[in-house]
Amino acid sequence: MGKSSKDKRDVYYRKAKELGYRARSAFKLLQLNEQFHFLDDPNLKRVVDLCAAPGSWSQVLSKTMFKGIKESEVTEDDERKIVAVDLQPMSPIDHVTRLQADITHPRTLNKILELFNNSKADFVCSDGAPDVTGLHDLDEYVQQQLIMSALQLTTCILKEGGIFVAKIFRGRDINLLYTQLGYLFEQVICAKPRSSRGTSLEAFIVCIGYIPPKGWQPKLDENISVQEFFQGLKTDSKNQPRVIERYYEEERNIAEFMSCGGLQSFDSDATYHYDVVAALSDVSLDPVQSPTSPAYKKDS
Amino acid sequence: MSEITELTHCGPSLCVKFFEHYVFAAYGPLLKIYEYKTGKVVNTCRVLKKNKVHGISIGKSGNILAYGARSVSVFPMSEALKKESVQKYENITTEWITSSEFDYTEKNIYMLTCYNKILVYNLESKSIAIKAVPGERSILYSGSIKVFSDDKAYAVAGTVMNGVIIWDLITEKMFHNLTGHEGAIFNVILSDDGKLIASCSDDRSIKLWDFTTGQELTTGWGHTARIWYLKFFDNDRKLISVSEDCTCRVWSVSRSSTGKIELVQENIIEAHQIKNVWGVDVQESENIAVTSGNDGRIRVIDLAPVSRYGNELQSFSLNELSIKHGIKMEKGEMFKGFQPFKFGLIAATSLGKILMFDQISNSWSLLMTDSRLTSYSIFHGIKEENIAVIANNKSELLVLKLSEDGKTIIKESKLHYDNLSKTINCLVTKFDEKSLFILLESPNPNDQLQGLQLSNNTLEIINEYTFTKPKNFTTSSVAIIENLLIIGSRFSTVGIYSLTKEQKECYLIKGINEGDNITSTTFISKLPNALIFSVTSRDGYYNFIKIHISKTFEIAKHEIIYSNKVARGFLEGSFIDENDDFIIYGFKSSLFYLYNETKCYELASQLCGGAHRQWNFEEFNDYFMLVFIQSSTLHIRRINKLKFPHTLSDGLHGREIRDITIRSSKSYKNGYLFCTGSEDTGIRLSYFDITTNEINTYWFERQHVSGLQTCSFISNNLMISTSAREELFLWKLNTDTEDRPYMNLLQHLPTSMDTPDLRIMDFSVKFIEETVDFVLATIYSDSTIKIWYYNSDENKFKLIIGGRYETCCLTNANFVTLNQKLYCVVTPTDGYIVVYNITEAIQFELSESNTLVNNEKDLTQTALPMYETRIRVHQSGIKSMDTQVLDNTLKVYTTGDDNAIGLTIFKLDTSTKKLEGITNSFIERANASTITSCSLFNNNSKLLTTSVDQIVKIYDISNDQLDLINERYTTIADTGSCDTIDLSDGSSRLLIGGVGFSLWKWTQ
Repeated sequence: MGKSSKDKRDVYYRKAKELGYRARSAFKLLQLNEQFHFLDDPNLKRVVDLCAAPGSWSQVLSKTMFKGIKESEVTEDDERKIVAVDLQPMSPIDHVTRLQADITHPRTLNKILELFNNSKADFVCSDGAPDVTGLHDLDEYVQQQLIMSALQLTTCILKEGGIFVAKIFRGRDINLLYTQLGYLFEQVICAKPRSSRGTSLEAFIVCIGYIPPKGWQPKLDENISVQEFFQGLKTDSKNQPRVIERYYEEERNIAEFMSCGGLQSFDSDATYHYDVVAALSDVSLDPVQSPTSPAYKKDS
Repeated sequence: MSEITELTHCGPSLCVKFFEHYVFAAYGPLLKIYEYKTGKVVNTCRVLKKNKVHGISIGKSGNILAYGARSVSVFPMSEALKKESVQKYENITTEWITSSEFDYTEKNIYMLTCYNKILVYNLESKSIAIKAVPGERSILYSGSIKVFSDDKAYAVAGTVMNGVIIWDLITEKMFHNLTGHEGAIFNVILSDDGKLIASCSDDRSIKLWDFTTGQELTTGWGHTARIWYLKFFDNDRKLISVSEDCTCRVWSVSRSSTGKIELVQENIIEAHQIKNVWGVDVQESENIAVTSGNDGRIRVIDLAPVSRYGNELQSFSLNELSIKHGIKMEKGEMFKGFQPFKFGLIAATSLGKILMFDQISNSWSLLMTDSRLTSYSIFHGIKEENIAVIANNKSELLVLKLSEDGKTIIKESKLHYDNLSKTINCLVTKFDEKSLFILLESPNPNDQLQGLQLSNNTLEIINEYTFTKPKNFTTSSVAIIENLLIIGSRFSTVGIYSLTKEQKECYLIKGINEGDNITSTTFISKLPNALIFSVTSRDGYYNFIKIHISKTFEIAKHEIIYSNKVARGFLEGSFIDENDDFIIYGFKSSLFYLYNETKCYELASQLCGGAHRQWNFEEFNDYFMLVFIQSSTLHIRRINKLKFPHTLSDGLHGREIRDITIRSSKSYKNGYLFCTGSEDTGIRLSYFDITTNEINTYWFERQHVSGLQTCSFISNNLMISTSAREELFLWKLNTDTEDRPYMNLLQHLPTSMDTPDLRIMDFSVKFIEETVDFVLATIYSDSTIKIWYYNSDENKFKLIIGGRYETCCLTNANFVTLNQKLYCVVTPTDGYIVVYNITEAIQFELSESNTLVNNEKDLTQTALPMYETRIRVHQSGIKSMDTQVLDNTLKVYTTGDDNAIGLTIFKLDTSTKKLEGITNSFIERANASTITSCSLFNNNSKLLTTSVDQIVKIYDISNDQLDLINERYTTIADTGSCDTIDLSDGSSRLLIGGVGFSLWKWTQ
């Protein structure tokens, strides 16, 4: 989100700059929370933000969990902890512990557990998305693999009854993902905040009430694939997929849809006129966060 | 029971392969097999159920291996060539298949998955082994397998983390992890001799690596976007690459004297449109390549354009002519003009030497010298008659008729034209079968234009003509069509004269476009009382003009029936080729280009330094000849016509189709015309045949500057399209002529500001009874609703009602009339159906039959009233809507971003006299994703819906309920638009658009 954005019409972009968020996506989490109130729970203690860079979700987590509290005011024994993980470097955020690490690696899991004093997390979220190639099926697959990688770590760290929230793209195979998630959570909802454009396939899965199947022991191992990790999730051995078999139709379930953010909030598809935008702010705003490792600094 | 059959599919093709005289091209889950020599489609065969074929390999044993996503299949070629489906052979695995190959025995298959594992399985679909190297779990975007022998096979894998991992898949030993690219690796291959590795990446470069040492050898730069696929050929001496930048590039792998290996870019071919060439293969025996792209095109490329038959680009300086060909040249002597002929070329020098070039012997000879032509000359000719015409500025002419071989002058005529003292231009054209025509123009603007008709045989003057010259008229091109002399001028002006009439008055068509020189005139077709010709303008515009003529060749009026602009620099000429395609040529920066405008692809290009030079271009039977001067040297480029079709499939749009509209009110030939509006900012006018199901595209309209939002036919001959930047265009369709339909921009809607940034999301039209005038509703991304009146006599839009809903974006609008009231139904992104009653606000009356009547009132602008009613149906944005008025009720079908579909019925509340709606039927989880479009069909008894989850559904709505009767998977990704038409046999055609296009048949 630099000084000049392609999408000047976007009110959320201006609003994000004004409120000091690193990306407009902050509003997506805020609007999800407006609907589900997962961040308003006074018992919310340990939170993990995966694929966190540039950090707008971590900012939202920090602001809602530590409302008005300075970092210096937090006591040693405060159980509230936010850990943000990404392969990319990230600028500091108050109350957030940053980990530059691979979410699929067991070491990362151990680090987080260490920071949580071996307690499990209440809430895990991921706003990550890979670069797209334009091959719709491959892009969707890679996005789902990213979610499954996040989910791998989540299953090892989330407490029973905990919440998992992640960005999805509602493409052809999204119902396969809903089916998988259905094995692990009491409720799986496809939520679309008003700040996410209607023209975009983006939405968020909100998975409520983590219930690992009895007898299933998730274990992160760098040498096993995501598929292998989740094998055995289904107790029905007849339905265990073999390495290769004749084509069959897989089980597909459609998750409940929920629009978030309320009708009074801004419509991300609309063009707002100056009077509306001016009500927010009419000063030229500098980028909120300088790039951590800008391309222009590299030798080419 | 009703049934759906897929008739035609056109969409991205991810891979292509030559095999013997066939080309195998993957289209989604289908494999289409062509004979590349004729372009004939041998068979279309379904390989996979849903997944797209990403790669194919053809074994020596005659088996084909195809894979894509998590599917893989091995099937006999004999079945692929004949059967409709080989889907029964499809296997599914647990991980994405990055690449797959037969093993050495061809009894087993190696499969490289995206987690860098090799799965080995046999032809009976039994898993035999899983191979891997430890610790390398990064997801792969690409990879390939190279099998050398029973015990020697390697996997080369490209990761998202910029690495290239090379390992032995038999011993599971890793050789190298090559780092050097910046960005994901999109393809990596091994050379046939196993010595080189080539990789390409997000960073737009190609790298060569030494297989043994893992050392980076060289980097090839050139592509301007991501590179998707690579292939070695010519014994690993060459590499071909295809990219997101629409080009295919050929590189030579050259070894310098010091042994250093370099990649040298040899050729660039702009092969596809807008975005992404995905696949390429090479047929070495023919020296051709085939590419496949996101636009669905399969393109055949000549890899030896300048060396196929020898040296097709030759250069001669005058000095060289002196030394090698024994023609003595003076110091400072220059080429002044030339004309290509079948035998070669005739050229004139600045000292009046007339030279002949024989293209068989590559030799030059001096034919004669005419000292009158010293210093200034204009050179033209009639290639079919071997006649050259050279003029100087003193109205002196030299006309030569040459023998077949060009070696002898059969006739020579030196003329002095007394009527003019000076000439600034001399233009030549064919008059009829027996004579030619010379037009002379004087520098004095008051002088008339002079014409000479000469016999082709005797070169004697048959007739002389004088034409009045209009003001500000400077000739730039000439053509004679059916007794009409058509002269192109500066300022985009054309003058037409009847040659049979005594009075040589001019019919002037002034300022057709912005105003550059008319560079050529081409005859297109003849109608009983009209003629159609095309003119090209140097600034890139071309126009098709219809002139209405009487029996005595009196021109009554003219009409511009088509106008378009090419985004390629200078446009110098055009012609219609043997396939009826419109071909244009001109200059683009330092290149000369030859372009198929109908099909949108380049036929050839030649570096020449740009437009500002002497040049000439002629078409012959098997080739074109381009002659140009660069740095005082004469260059002759022979552009051979490819002996194979240039495309095996033409393709459609390079990006998503956002809307489809069928001209359903009237058939065309044996089918229907339809338009597709795309994210690529273009509209295509195409045709589908209801018997052969073939699709034929006529035009690609480039006038929109942003991605299309909607397009829709509003009558037999009018179409409206909208896009961002407040663009709404009204198009006129002309189908009077046999040759092709024409669609021309008639008018555009006034914008609300100088630099508009609003999107016109949708519109609706209601015609005024017994006129071609109409009322138009437009809705905008800032919640604005506007109603306009279009006056066809004045060709003007007038704003009559304006207002705003709230602040959210509006998505659909439909006019409906009910109980002598006019309503505008609008859907915003807030999930409501909003109904405006504009009966009072609009200044037209409604008849008893609910038609609008023009009561000749002076129209004034009024405010949009408050909506009469609204009802919330969806949770978020309504994506599409269709409406129906039946038995005094209004039925509104809506599909949403919330995966739901609704039927809401509005009835008049007798007490409030207002419409009240109830949602009669609502399906919450109708699809797994956004339901993007819907259309009523089968006499409004069925509803078709499309969704991004690629499941197309058909509902029976006859009982005011949404009863699902059909559902079918479509291979079109990002499914976003549809249209339908009922045919007389009771069946319907369903057109489905997204990334590609499908034509389906629905039968009861």
